Amino acid sequence: MEFNIETPEQDEKTLRRAQVRFVTKLKAPLKVPNTSIAIPSNLTRFGLSSVVNNLLQSVNPEWKSEPFDFLINGELVRMSLEQFLLAKGISAEKVLEIEYIKAVVPQKEEEPCLHDDWVSAVDGSHPGFILTGSYDSLGRVWKAEGLCTHILEGHSGAVSSVRFLKSDGMKNVTVATASKDQTLRLWKFDAEDLINHPKKINAFKILRGHKASVQSIAAHTSGDMICSGSWDCSINLWRMNESDAEGDQVSTKKRKVNNQADESQFEGEAVSTLVGHTQCVSSVVWPQHETIYSASWDHSVRRWDVEAGKDVSDIFCGKVLNCIDVGGEGSALIAAGGSDPILRIWDPRTSAPVFQFSSHNSWISACKWHDNSWFHLISASYDGKVMLWDLRTAWPLAVIDSHKDKVLCADWWRSDSVISGGVDSKLCISSGLSIQ
Amino acid sequence: MRAGKTVSVEATSPKKKKNNNNDKKKKKQNQTEKKDDQNLLKKTTESANSVQTENDASLKIQELEQQQQNTTQELAATDSDSDSDYQVFSEDEVSEDYESLRESEDGESESSGDEVHGSDDDVNNDNDDGHEDQSDGSESHQGIEESDSSEDEVAPRNTIGDVPLEWYKDEKHIGYDISGKKITKKERQDKLASFLASVDDSKNWRKIYDEYNDEDVELTKEETKIIRRLLKGKAPHADFDPYADYVDWFKYEDSLHPLSNAPEPKRRFIPSKWESKKVLRYVRAIRKGLIKFDEPKEEEPRFYLMWGDDSSTAEKANRLSYIPAPKSKLPGHEESYNPSLEYIPTQEELNSYQLMYDEDRPKFIPKRFTSFRSIPSYENAVKESFERCMDLYLCPRVRKKRINIDPETLKPKLPSRKDLKPYPATCYLEYKGHKGAVMSISTEASGQWIASGSTDGTVRIWEVESGRCLRVWEIGEPVHCVAWNPSPELPVLAASAGQDVVLLNTGFGNEEDQKRVGELLQVETHTASDDSDNMASIVSWLQDDKLGGIRLRHFKTVTSVDWHRRGDYLSTVMPADILFSVHLIFIVFVYSFLSMDHVFHPTRSIFFVSTKKTIRVYDLLKQKLIKKLETGLREVSSIAIHPAGDNVIVGSREGKLCWFDMDLSSKPYRILKCHPKDITNVAFHRSYPLFASCSDDGTAYVFHGMVYSDLNQNPLIVPLEILRGHTSSNGRGVMDCKFHPRQPWLFTAGADSTIKLFCH
Repeated sequence: MEFNIETPEQDEKTLRRAQVRFVTKLKAPLKVPNTSIAIPSNLTRFGLSSVVNNLLQSVNPEWKSEPFDFLINGELVRMSLEQFLLAKGISAEKVLEIEYIKAVVPQKEEEPCLHDDWVSAVDGSHPGFILTGSYDSLGRVWKAEGLCTHILEGHSGAVSSVRFLKSDGMKNVTVATASKDQTLRLWKFDAEDLINHPKKINAFKILRGHKASVQSIAAHTSGDMICSGSWDCSINLWRMNESDAEGDQVSTKKRKVNNQADESQFEGEAVSTLVGHTQCVSSVVWPQHETIYSASWDHSVRRWDVEAGKDVSDIFCGKVLNCIDVGGEGSALIAAGGSDPILRIWDPRTSAPVFQFSSHNSWISACKWHDNSWFHLISASYDGKVMLWDLRTAWPLAVIDSHKDKVLCADWWRSDSVISGGVDSKLCISSGLSIQ
Repeated sequence: MRAGKTVSVEATSPKKKKNNNNDKKKKKQNQTEKKDDQNLLKKTTESANSVQTENDASLKIQELEQQQQNTTQELAATDSDSDSDYQVFSEDEVSEDYESLRESEDGESESSGDEVHGSDDDVNNDNDDGHEDQSDGSESHQGIEESDSSEDEVAPRNTIGDVPLEWYKDEKHIGYDISGKKITKKERQDKLASFLASVDDSKNWRKIYDEYNDEDVELTKEETKIIRRLLKGKAPHADFDPYADYVDWFKYEDSLHPLSNAPEPKRRFIPSKWESKKVLRYVRAIRKGLIKFDEPKEEEPRFYLMWGDDSSTAEKANRLSYIPAPKSKLPGHEESYNPSLEYIPTQEELNSYQLMYDEDRPKFIPKRFTSFRSIPSYENAVKESFERCMDLYLCPRVRKKRINIDPETLKPKLPSRKDLKPYPATCYLEYKGHKGAVMSISTEASGQWIASGSTDGTVRIWEVESGRCLRVWEIGEPVHCVAWNPSPELPVLAASAGQDVVLLNTGFGNEEDQKRVGELLQVETHTASDDSDNMASIVSWLQDDKLGGIRLRHFKTVTSVDWHRRGDYLSTVMPADILFSVHLIFIVFVYSFLSMDHVFHPTRSIFFVSTKKTIRVYDLLKQKLIKKLETGLREVSSIAIHPAGDNVIVGSREGKLCWFDMDLSSKPYRILKCHPKDITNVAFHRSYPLFASCSDDGTAYVFHGMVYSDLNQNPLIVPLEILRGHTSSNGRGVMDCKFHPRQPWLFTAGADSTIKLFCH
C-alpha cells in the first residue's frame, strides 16, 4: 500500500509559511480549535496530517494520531501545499481554509479467501456474506473470516457474474449467477447456517435463453427482476417468481426433472429482450426503477427504458467496455472501464467524459461506486491493482496491490471494505476504510 | 545627316528668300491660303534662311581655305581635319540645284585647282617674303587671284623643281641656283653643337629648317600668330571677319542693262503647288507616323557591374547558350597579408596538416607579414594560373538542368495516423501456457475465443477477454496450423499436426450445436472409411476417441488448413506438392505443384493457392485455373485476401509484402519492404481497413489498407504501427498474426510461446 511515504522537509532556510485555518465537518473529538496558524508551506498531506494530530493531541492528550486528508476548495491536496496553491492559482497571502476529513485508506488486509480457480465475480451487497463466482463453475458464499459457507454447484461453465437479489435478514437469501454455459441460475440458502464445511446447494431455477455466454447480471432494486447481458449482443430481462403459479402467469415454464438433484429445478424464460448492441454486452447495471445501463464491446454505453424496451441514449467511448457502474452525485454519473487503462466517468448529459483516471497500466476489469459516498469509487485492473479513487483528485487515494496477477472483479463490502478477486484465485479483502 | 535632309527638302527655299526680298507684298497675299501649311512653311523657310547664311559663310570659308592651302600646306598638318570638313560641306552644297551659286562655285573650284598646282612655288614665295604678302587679308585675297604672276616675281634659290630630295642626298650640292651654279650644302654641324647652339638661341623655337633650300628660316611674330590662329581653326588674319554682312553688290533693278530683260515669270510670284503638295504629304506622313524621326539614343548605363550578371549575357547570346566560366574563388580574409590571428593556424594544426593526406590538406596556409615589402612572391602563382587556364580550356562546361524540388513534397500525401484510428497499438493481454513456439492462432467468429497450436503438441482455446485457457488438447505432434470453422453453428476446430489434420469439437455452442457437431464428427468418419477408394491413397479418415474428433491422415506432412467461408469445405496443404480441398462429404481436388499457402475467396467460389513464386487462382465450380499472379518474390510464405475479395496480400520470405489489386493487373500494386526477416504471416481485418504482417524479426507491422468501392481510386496503404514485444527464439519471431474479427485488435503468436493481444 502506498501510504505515509511522504516526509516533511526540515530545511528551515527555504521555509515559507502559510496562514491556514483547519475546519472540519467531523464530530467533536476530531475538531481542532478554529484559529488560524502559520505552517510551513512545503508541507504535504502527511505534514498537514501530523499538524492536525498535534493540535488534537494538545486538546486531548489521549489522542491517538490518525491520518487525515485535506481539501482546499473542494480538491484534495496531493502535493506540497506550496505547489498546490501555485498550481491552482490560490493566493497564499490570505488565511487559507483547509478542510480535513478522515483519510480514506484501507487499514487492514484481511485473510484472503482462497479459491480453486480464478475468481471471476464477486458481490458484496449483502453485509453478512460475500458472494463469489469462479472459473471452476462454482459459486461460493463466504463469511468474513475466509470461511466458505455455501458452494453453488450446477453450472457447466465458468461463472461470470454473481448478484445478490434479496433476503430476509440472513434467511432466505436469493442470489443469481450467470455463467459462460449460457445460463443463469437462481439459488436460495440461509446464510445463518453455521456449518464447519461448506454446504453444496443446487439452483432452484435455471434461466435459459441466451445464445452465448452470459457476461453480467444486474438486479432490480426490489430483487424481483434481473437483467443479464450476454455475448449474443442482447440483454434479457427475467422475472423472479418463486412460486410456480406466479411463474406460470408471467412466463411459460417448462418443468423438467433433474436426475441428479433431488430438488426440482425450474426453468425460466426471458420476459423481454433488449436488442440494440452489436457486440457482446459485457456489463449491465440497474440502478433505478426503469432504467438499465449497459456497456458493450461495441464501444457504447446505452441507457434502456425497461418499459419501452428501447435504448434512450447512448454514449460512445471508442474503446471496448468491460464494466460499468452508475453512482456518484445524484446517482447519475456513469463510470466505465474497458480495453484501455483509463477509467472514464460520464455525466449522461454530456458526451465527453467528465473525469478520466489513468493510473492503471492495463485493461480495467471492474469499477464500482461507493454506496454512500458521492466521491469514492474503486477500479480493478488487469495490472493486478485495485485503486480507490476520489473524484476530487486525479491521483488514486489508495492502491491495493495485494493481487499477484490480473484482478477480474472488485466490489465494496459493508461500505468500509474493498473485496477483489483475481487470477491468483484469491479473494482479497481490504477493510478499515472510513468513508462517511 | 539630318541637316542635309532638311536642306534637300527645302531645296528651293533660298530662291524663295529672294522672292521674299523682291515681292514681299505678293507673298503676303499668298499667305492667306491654308494657315497650317503656311505656318509649317514659314518654319521651313526660316530654317532655309539659316541654311542660306550657312551657304554664304561656307563660300567665304572656302575662299579662305584656299588661302590657307596656299600658305600653310606644309606647316599645319593638323589643319587637314577641318579642311576635309569644309570640303564635305561644300560637296553638300554642290548637290543642290542652286544654279547661280553652283556656277560660281564651279569656277572657283577650277581656279582653286589651278592654284593647288602651283602651290609649292607659292609657298616658297610666302616663305621668302610672306610678311609683306599676308599683312593684309584683302590683299592676300587678291594675291590668290593672281597667283601665277606672283610666282614669277619671286624665284626660289633652288631651281631643281619638284623632284624628290633623295636624289641629292649623296651629292654635295642640293641643287642649282637660277644661274645654273651648284648650291653647295651647308656645313653640317654635329648634333651636339647644334643642340647647344639651339639651347643658347632664344629664338630657336621659331626656327624651321627648310630642307629644300638648305637653310634655316626664322618665323616672324606675325607668322607664328597666323599659325596659331590656323591651329585654332580661325581665319589666319585677326582682322578678317568671317561673318561680315552680306553686301549685295549686284543691283539689277536700277541697272541700265539688267542680266535679263524678260519679265519676271508668274511662277516666281505664286507659291509652288507641287511644293506645297509635297510638304503636305510630308506633314501627313509625319502625322500618321509613317515618317519617324530618329529617336533619342538610349543611353548606355554609365556604370555597370564588372563581374556582371552572367545570366543576362547568356540570354543575349542567340540560341547558343553561353555558359560562363566558373569563377575562381575570391580571396578572403585569410589570404590577406596580415590576417587576424584567428586565421593563423597554430603549431599543432600545422603539425596535423603534415599528417593529412595531400588532398585533405588545406591548399593555402595563412601567414602574417608585417608589411607588403616582406611578402615573398607566391610560389604557386604560375602553377595556379596555369591550372586555372587548363580548367577553363579543357573542362567541359555543361549547363545542368537541376530541378529544385523539396524531396518532402515528392512523398505521397499520407493521412496522419491519428486520423486512421483505431488500430492495434498497445499490448495489454498475454496468453501464456504453451510450452513451445506458438505456430498458429485462429479466432472464433464472434471473437470471444481464440485457438492456438504450438510445437509442444497442444491445441489450446483461450478466452480473449481474460486470457484464460479453457481447453487443451494433446495432439502429440507439433501443431502447424489451427483453423476455427467460420460458421458459428459448427464450433469445430481443425488442426494440422504432422501428417494428420484433426477436427476437434470445441464444446462451445448450445446443446443443439453440440449435438450436430457430435453427429457430424461421428457419421462422417464412417462414410469416410467406407467409400473413399481413390482418396485412400491421399487421405484416410479415422475416428479419434481420445480427442473426440476426426483424424485425417495424409500421406505427407500437412502445413496448413483453411476453411471455406461457410464452413463446409476444408482445404489442406502439403508442401510436398499436392494440395487438396475436402468437403466433409468428400469432394477432392487434386493439384500437383509445390504450394506454400492457400486461401478461399471470401465471397465467391474461388480458391487461391500460392506456389513458390506465383499465386494461382482457381475457380472451384469450373475446376480450372482462372488467373495467375506474378509476385516477383523469391519465395512466397503467406497469403491473405481482402474481405471484399479483390485485393490480395502476399508475404514473402525475404521480408517483402506485395499488395495485389486483382482488377488492376496480375503484377503487384505495391510492394512494401519493411521486415528485415521472413514474413511468416499476413492478415486482413474483416471489417476495419487494416492489415498486418508478422515476421521472424519479432515484430508485427500494422497497415491501414483502405480499399475504395470507387474503382477509379487505388487502394490507400499507410503504415501505422510496429508492434514489438515478442522475443525471438531459435531465430523465429512472430509466427502468426490474426485480427480480432470485430475489434481492431491483433493477436500475435510468438516463438517465445506466448500469444499477445494488441489493442487500440
